[in-house]
Amino acid sequence: MNNDYPIPDNELQRLAALKRYNILDTLPDNAFDDATKLVSYICGVPIAHISFIDENRQWFKSEIGIGVSEVPREITFCNYTILDTKIVEINDTHLSERFKNDPNVTGGFNVRFYAGVPITTPDGYNIGTLCAVDHVVKELNENQRNALSIVAKHVMAQLEIGTKNIQLDAQRKIAEKAVLARDSFLANMSHEIRTPLNSIIGFTDLLAQTELDEVQRDYIESVQIAGENLLLIVNDILDLSKIESGNLAIESEPFNLKKTLKHVYNLLKVKAQKEVDFNLFLDAEMPDNVVGDQGRLNQILVNLIGNSLKFTNEGEVTVSVKKLEETEDNYTLKFSVKDTGIGIHEDKLTTIFERFTQGEESTTRTYGGTGLGLNIVKELIELQHGEIHVKSTPNRGSEFFFIISYKKGNPAQPAVKSMSINNLGRLKILLCEDNALNQKLAKSVINNFGFDLDIAQNGEEGIELLSQNKYDLVLMDLQMPVKDGYQTTEYIRNEMNSTIPIIAMTAHSLVGEQERCYKVGMNAYVPKPFKQAVLLKAIKTVMNPNIELTPKRIIDLSFLDEMACGDLEFKKEMINLFIEKIPSQTEQLEEAFRKEDHDAVKMLSHNMKSSLDIFMLEDLSNCAAIIEEEAAAREFTTETLDKMNVLHCGITEVVKILKEL
Amino acid sequence: MRIILAEDNDILRKSLSFFLESKGFTVDQFSDGKDALDAIETNNYDLILTDINMPGKSGMEITQYVRQTINSETPIIILTSSGVEQTELDSFDIGANEFIAKPVSPAVLLVRINKLLKTRF
Repeated sequence: MNNDYPIPDNELQRLAALKRYNILDTLPDNAFDDATKLVSYICGVPIAHISFIDENRQWFKSEIGIGVSEVPREITFCNYTILDTKIVEINDTHLSERFKNDPNVTGGFNVRFYAGVPITTPDGYNIGTLCAVDHVVKELNENQRNALSIVAKHVMAQLEIGTKNIQLDAQRKIAEKAVLARDSFLANMSHEIRTPLNSIIGFTDLLAQTELDEVQRDYIESVQIAGENLLLIVNDILDLSKIESGNLAIESEPFNLKKTLKHVYNLLKVKAQKEVDFNLFLDAEMPDNVVGDQGRLNQILVNLIGNSLKFTNEGEVTVSVKKLEETEDNYTLKFSVKDTGIGIHEDKLTTIFERFTQGEESTTRTYGGTGLGLNIVKELIELQHGEIHVKSTPNRGSEFFFIISYKKGNPAQPAVKSMSINNLGRLKILLCEDNALNQKLAKSVINNFGFDLDIAQNGEEGIELLSQNKYDLVLMDLQMPVKDGYQTTEYIRNEMNSTIPIIAMTAHSLVGEQERCYKVGMNAYVPKPFKQAVLLKAIKTVMNPNIELTPKRIIDLSFLDEMACGDLEFKKEMINLFIEKIPSQTEQLEEAFRKEDHDAVKMLSHNMKSSLDIFMLEDLSNCAAIIEEEAAAREFTTETLDKMNVLHCGITEVVKILKEL
Repeated sequence: MRIILAEDNDILRKSLSFFLESKGFTVDQFSDGKDALDAIETNNYDLILTDINMPGKSGMEITQYVRQTINSETPIIILTSSGVEQTELDSFDIGANEFIAKPVSPAVLLVRINKLLKTRF
């Protein structure tokens, strides 16, 4: 055996370059197999391959007529090809001094003809070869040689794409993780801020309803305004995160446009300074009823009009609405907010809708605000397929106008039967809530409504009270010690088999939570800090017997069917095994999670994942994967807790559905 | 053709066995890596199909033992739910012939098994 094969001068760098592509020992790939076939066709040879050469071996990414996946480096002819920059062609090895005694010429692969082109990285390292080999004497023509070089270049391009894709994939994973981290940060922050804010706003409202002297009333009003403003800012930030994650849904409900505009006008009238005329002009042709998102239109108008009123010291602020176009199905409307305020410099007009920009740097100091409002307005309008524009002259004033199309509403919409507090009677309500301030606040509000309230400190206490007394309704905090709101609801629905209406009350306000509440069987959802009117509306809604059921999950059994090869008995056996095992595994998993037993959590979540995959429960399988990952990192986060809860709810639901099959 | 299957998830193991038996293979199934290895030492299998994470012995340990200690070239397919590239590289490094990420498609598994058995015999 010929052991003294040549080593390229740049061998170390060459090996490093090869390593970068992570190509060695990868699975077969059609793109490479096609290239090898092409070489065999072009040159008319029985043996062709694409190979990579590391310290000890030549590894074949793709081969025809060789039949092994690698050979020791010392026996390959390609050792000479990777020294070269162009094609190496040996027409007859028997005439070559270098090769005529080579074991693969005299025996082995019986190489008589060899042509090899180096596979060269963009930075100039020959990491492998593309070869054509035959058992007879041969000579390639110019076209064949060119074709080989071109195919070698394509192979390199293929490799480059492969690594770029891997890099992209890694980057994408990092980016997704960052988004996730930010979302959970926002959820936690919003919770931390909203809980105390809930108490501040609620108690201030209650205090304002007591007898006060003029100075006290003035102070209280200031606290109320400050509290509301703080809430607006927190909501702005949350809205933004929802828009960014694509989780903000635009509703499509019939509403009365004129009433909405008048409501906004009345709401903001108090904010206009004395020297400012605040007007609302409505086009006579403007429709009364349209279908769209009333809440978001409110938000846009409050934001734009609020800005105008803030930046206008004298003159006027005019809100007008005009019908631009009417088709069979749609109205296109132009809303305009025009003022005689401080105006905006021309060079700022293009950036005014960007985040954290205001007209002047001094604006924040003088007028306050987060610099998020106009950005949110623009995003909200664009989500409704509309557009917003601005015209302005410094010291003369500004006009913001936006155009939105609404579907035509049905004017004969029957008025929703309004239910006053009285016809609900004296409801007996159970509140599950651990925070003493929130308890006190809710008690005052509920008593004001004219209902009776019992309080449980946690879910377990709630269940106990519920089994002893008769209640009409449960108000459920989500984060509680001992048993949280989700677990308590599940118990009430699945163990007690009770259909009592349950309203979730939560300071979390991120997307997904609401769905989860409905999924475990709650009937309504009130975000904290709650407004009295919103809570009352929720109570009225759930006390109305026509509650829609949430859609059920559909379980895809096609994977199991494929495994069972049509055997129904076996399929049933597997379903029963799943129903039997997975609930107790879930319990064990939760137990291990509580004990922070990382190893047990890792093992259980891993095992459960395989079971979940068989029933194609992709969402739950992903949860299990994330839990396993966090357990492997030996650190549980709020995300783990969240996934544990989702997994728990999902499995309960799935088992229930499978049992009914 | 006789296959040994080591997988600790009951449902997956039973399903895979059932599937492979329906396709005409004889399957010996184990949920513990150690038991599986004992069986490999005493019997002649045409193919080894193993999960990585298992009680007793891991799929990696089994592969290493088969290649280095028993010095057997029996084809080995490693199944894993790990999405980590290094796991795949390591699997081949210690001598596995195929690496299949979970969830395993039965059809793909069958193709890979047939391919390995054909190249060998």
